[in-house]
Formats: sequence, C-alpha cells, structure tokens
Amino acid sequence: MKICDILKEDKIISDFSGKTKEEVINQLIDLFQKDTRVNDLEKIRTAVLEREKIMSTGVGNGFAIPHGKTDGVNEIIAGFARIPATIDFQALDDKPVNLVFLLVGKENLVGPHIKLLSRISRMMNKEQFRNDLLAADTPAKIYEIFQNEEKNYFDIT
Amino acid sequence: MVSLEYLLLIGSILLLVSILTAKALQNVGIPTLLLFIGVGILAGSEGLGGIEFSDASMAQSIGILSLIFILFSGGLDTNWKESKIVSVPAFLMATLGTLITALVIAFFVTVIFKTSFLWGLLIGSIISSTDAAAVFSILRTGNIGLKGTVKPLLELESGSNDPMAVFLTIGTIELIMAPDKSISDLVLFFFLQIGLGLVFGILGGKLIVLFINKLKFFYEGIYSVLLLALVILLYSFTTLLNGSGFLAIYIAGLIMSNQQFIHKKALIGFFDGFAWLGQISMFLTLGLLLFPSELLLVTGSGILLSLILMLVARPLSVFITLIPFKFNLKEKMFISWVGLRGAVPIILATFPLLKGVENSHLIFNLVFFVVLSSATIQGWSINPVAKWLKLSAPLQLKKKLSLEFSSATDSDTDLIELIVPFNSSIAGKQIVDINFPADSRIVLIIRDEKNIVPSGGTVLEEGDILSILINKKNLQAVQKIFM
Repeated sequence: MKICDILKEDKIISDFSGKTKEEVINQLIDLFQKDTRVNDLEKIRTAVLEREKIMSTGVGNGFAIPHGKTDGVNEIIAGFARIPATIDFQALDDKPVNLVFLLVGKENLVGPHIKLLSRISRMMNKEQFRNDLLAADTPAKIYEIFQNEEKNYFDIT
Repeated sequence: MVSLEYLLLIGSILLLVSILTAKALQNVGIPTLLLFIGVGILAGSEGLGGIEFSDASMAQSIGILSLIFILFSGGLDTNWKESKIVSVPAFLMATLGTLITALVIAFFVTVIFKTSFLWGLLIGSIISSTDAAAVFSILRTGNIGLKGTVKPLLELESGSNDPMAVFLTIGTIELIMAPDKSISDLVLFFFLQIGLGLVFGILGGKLIVLFINKLKFFYEGIYSVLLLALVILLYSFTTLLNGSGFLAIYIAGLIMSNQQFIHKKALIGFFDGFAWLGQISMFLTLGLLLFPSELLLVTGSGILLSLILMLVARPLSVFITLIPFKFNLKEKMFISWVGLRGAVPIILATFPLLKGVENSHLIFNLVFFVVLSSATIQGWSINPVAKWLKLSAPLQLKKKLSLEFSSATDSDTDLIELIVPFNSSIAGKQIVDINFPADSRIVLIIRDEKNIVPSGGTVLEEGDILSILINKKNLQAVQKIFM
C-alpha cells in the first residue's frame, strides 16, 4: 500500500479558505460522507479531535497531520488540504499551518498506520516537496506531486 | 507398573516426533491430523514403536479433554464480527444439517449393508459432525484465503455441530440398548443438551470475563490457571446437568472473543498452545488405538461409506439447509466439500465400544476409515477445489508489527502516537536526556518506516513517530517536552 493508493483526488482540497483548525478537520472528514471505506463518519471525527486534544498534530514547518484510529473505517483513508492563507493550528512551533494531511486508520491495525505516518512525516520534512505542494493550485496537480515523490518508495505492508 | 519417567519419556518423544514431522512436511500439504495419526500408528503395536495400547476408555478421556481445549480456543480465536453474520445458517447447518447427514447415511447403510435401521443410524450419527479441529487446522494454518462468508460459516458450523452428533449417537445407543425407551425422553434430552449448552455458554462466557477483570492478581501466570479452571468447570458442570458441555465452552469462547479482559492476548496464546497439545495428543492416541490390519479388512465397505458421505449425504444436507440463504452454487459445492471428519467421530465411535453395542468394533474401524479418507481426500484437495471454484482470495497479510493495548481496567493509561516535531528541541537528543516521565514509556520508534526499539541512548530525529504508553496524568509533562 502506498499513500497514493489511499489518497484520492476527490479527497484533496486545493484552496481551503476557512479560519480554524476544527473547520479544516471537519471539512476534510466531510469529504468521506459517501465513501464506502467509511461506516461511521462521527466516529472518525471523535477519534481525530480526541487525538488533537492530547497534543496538536501541527508538527512544525507549516505542516499538520491530524490522525486517529477508529473502527468507523473499514480501510485506512486519507485526505489533504492546502491552505494558501494559512491558519492557526496551535502548532508545536507556534507557526501558522498551510498544509494538512488527514490519516485515519483502523482500530486494530496499528502497523501500517504508523508506517504511513512515518512516510508522510518523512516526505513533509523536505522543503522542496512542501514548496511544490504550496505552488500546486488544483487537486490533480497536488496528487501528481505526491505520485512523483512516492515513486521511489516501497509498498507498505 | 511402568515408571512415570518412562511414560514421560515416551510421551515427550512422541510429541517431538509429531511436531518435527509436521515441520518437515509442512509444504507437502498433508493435513496435520493425518501426520499425527500416522505417528501414532507407527509407534503402535503394529508399527515400529511396538507400543501396546488398546485402552478405549483412556483414549476417550484424552479425546474429550483435548476437545475441550480445541473448542474453547477455537471459539476464543474467532472473529465475532465475521461470525455474527452467518450465525443463523451456521446454526441450521449444525442442527438440521447434521440430522440430515445422519439420516441419509442411515438410509444407505440399511439398504446396502442390510443392517437394522438403528445400527445404520448409529454409524450415520457418529460421522454426522464435521470436525472443528480439522476444519480450523486446514482453514487457519493452511495457506488458504476464502472469499466472502464461507470461512466463518464453516468454522462456526464445525465448532457447534458436535453436540448434535453427541446427542444423536448417545440417543441411538440408548434406543439400541433399551428399546423401550420413550421418544419423549430423547426429545427432552435433546433440548436439555442444546438449551443448557447455549445458556450456560453465554452466561459462562460473560461471568468468566467479569471474574477475570474483578480479581486482581499480582502474577500474570495466575490468570492462565484461573481461566483453565473456569473452562473445565463450565464443561463438567454443564455436562453433569445433561447439557452439552462442548457447546457451552465453544459458545463461552465466542462470547469472550468479543469482550475485553485482562491479559487477553496472553490468554489466547496460552490456550492456543493447549489446543495444539490437545490436537497432537488426541490424534496420537487415536493412532495408537488403531490396528491398521483391522482397518484393511473394512476397505471395501469403508470406501463405499466415504463416497456416500462425501458425495451424497454432506452435499444433500448442505443444499437443503442453505435453501433460505444467499449462497451461490459454487459456494454450496465448496461448503459440501469441506465436510471434514476428524477426531469427534472417532471419539464417538468409542462410545458403542465401551457400551458393548453389537459389532461395535466394526463400527470403530469403519468410522476410522471414513475419517482417514475424508481427511486425506478432502483435506488435501481443499486448496485446488477453492481455486477451481474461483473462491480463493489472496491471503490477508498478517500485521507484521503487532501492537495491541487494551485499557479495559486501567483507564489511566493509553497507547498513542506522537511525532517528533520538525525543528524541535528534542530532535538530536538521547531519550535519557529528555526528562520523560517515569511512568510513561516510548515503546517503539518508527523512523523512515522502520521499527526501532528504543533504549535510553537512542537519539531522536525530526519526524520520528513515537508509540508512547502514556499515563494520562503525565500528559502535560509530555506536552512540555514536545513544545
């Protein structure tokens, strides 16, 4: 499994214009309303927001990775938002956030979930990659950047 | 009198030989139960070992004890979410389906071998149930993936149809030995068996969970002993009250599989080990009990009986029972083919032996023949048949990293993932230097998608995913570290 296998183009917001952390998380989760991989949207919301309460997932450099594990999904799902105007995500480095990656995994399938988290954080730690994403203004372009970046990565099992 | 050490020596060598044989032949695809029976036969009086063993009542005791572990462990290791969907058809197959199998065989035996109907019914009853140990071992240890609900259905059926077979067998023996027994007594006996088995199973499962979670022991090992005692208690208590003890412990296992209790994972592992011990010792004993020369005498009738079972009785029972349900032709054909017989029929065949039913030795050998041929032919061909019917699915890869945490009783502690922030002050530091609270632990680091087992000297890097066992009262202290 690769990030590009679980992230679909219609789950990418290329120009989020809201103001708050909760807004962007909710809007990303709402994209999954009719997704067959999801069986309970509210469980996802609770899991992700509960996790944010423990500690913000804004890990610095303008990037945040809200995530959670819940039996509200049948498979791992992912969403992405680009925020040209930036928002306050209560990030750990107190800087505004402009790239948000949402990852929700199955309750009892921890292995792939943390491996994916690791891959995303590894990719996002590259300044060039972040800049490419910030410059891409459509979901198609964003997806293509993920695809190019992930070419050299192996499948996660 | 043989010394204890001598018995232990023989027993341990037999176990070792069985395990090593299974390991050596694991890629050949022989059902493991055949291997174990084979080792038993070889060690027996007509084989290389020359061990004299013809104690049917001891074999029966070993068999029953082993079945307790196999059934309970099978229930405990079941995915209840998968099984719930198929519980109705599985229940029908376990009751009505088993009865149909027994009746069809009784009919053919009576007609072909010109026996009395009751004698035919006795054979039919004994071989009417599919074997949980055999089905589990082939569906779970074999490299087989099955589409849809076929797998949980087969497992649930095989785990829950033994009480029916036990009932039919005991009932028929009663009718043979005491012909004036009234039918209403038998009907009452049947409902007691199933009813008490179900009720005690459900209650038992819930009470056991409550009991385990209430009692707080300092030593983890005590929990295994506690559960062992409770399971055997449940079996014997139910059986002594004329309920089906086998059904009760299987149901209890199922109930528990869906609940959280202390040391769940360790306890599942403990019983998994016992189930294996049970399987090996049971089949070894049955192999020892068998005299292959006697088996050869029933070859002709044995083959005929096996064919009737595999090609007529089982398919008829499957197709009739599943009429109300949505299974397509291919699935029904496959379900018919996975009618593996195993230890239960052989153990049941010792009942008439011990009760002194006429020609019971012939029954024992016939039943043994049917089980061996069913395990060989069906057991061996399940994979190709699944492929041929296009029912096989890629085997789901087991999670390579298994992290499970249940905080059922200890709600202060949780397992969470935190990311070492970019440009953070803790990146580049050793774990020992970051003042991590004493009762919270970094249990695993995932860096570049690889697992690192942390020690005090491990240096953290930006973007590391930390799997942290955290005591909630330490939350703020941990937050501070990450800021």
